[in-house]
Amino acid sequence: MPPPGGFESVKYKRNLPFRGPGGLAILGGVTAICAYGFYRVGKGNLEKRELQREKAWSRIHLVPLLMAEGDRDAYRREQAALTREREIMKDVPGWEAGKSVYNSTRYRSPDIIVL
Amino acid sequence: MSSFQPGTRSQKAYVDPTPMPEDVPKVAELGVTSAPLKSAAFFIGAYCKEFNEDFMLCKNENRDPAHCLKEGRRVTRCATELINKMRENCLEQFEAHWNCLDRNNHEYNLCRKPERTLNACMFEKLGLTKTIPGTPSGQKPIHEVESPIFKAMQK
Repeated sequence: MPPPGGFESVKYKRNLPFRGPGGLAILGGVTAICAYGFYRVGKGNLEKRELQREKAWSRIHLVPLLMAEGDRDAYRREQAALTREREIMKDVPGWEAGKSVYNSTRYRSPDIIVL
Repeated sequence: MSSFQPGTRSQKAYVDPTPMPEDVPKVAELGVTSAPLKSAAFFIGAYCKEFNEDFMLCKNENRDPAHCLKEGRRVTRCATELINKMRENCLEQFEAHWNCLDRNNHEYNLCRKPERTLNACMFEKLGLTKTIPGTPSGQKPIHEVESPIFKAMQK
């Protein structure tokens, strides 16, 4: 005989908890995030180019100044080397101090320095 | 373990103590380190444009150091004058900016805040502006962009 009030209803429905957003939503979300990221990367690349230009020009503006200073020092050393050479080679007839070994008027920085 | 070997070459620095010949006019070297130079670079470029271009054209004629000594002295005098003017007028902003550059690997993009105050001061006092040649037309120059992508992590 059935109990008073009848039997419990049979649980036949599947009991699956909600497992998060669906595949399309995840795919769409990932695509959106990636798209934004690539947009930022593109922007960043353009910006990096400008930053490099800024750095290059800051150096270009300083080139004359640094070169002038270096030239003065090089000139001073060259003159010192010339006087030294004249002093050493004064007994050799026909020796021209500081004469280039090349048959050309183009300037070459000295290959040998005396330490 | 390897031990120190003296080597066959001289280890001492290459210093020639001979002074400059007397017939060359004396000019005081600038004696400024890299960070202040980098901070002042665009103002040097703006302020000393003619001397710099003259010097580079002269170097283009002949690479001999003796050839462009006169132009080089003008370049150095001009730069010294500008640095002195900066120190007189915008010392605080100038020091803030170059100290920032010194601490931040000499990257301009990490020092925009002190740079803006320096630029404003330089424009106000000396009328010099920072312009980067070659910026695409219609685009904000990179040093004036309000929210750049590459910026300092810590404010």
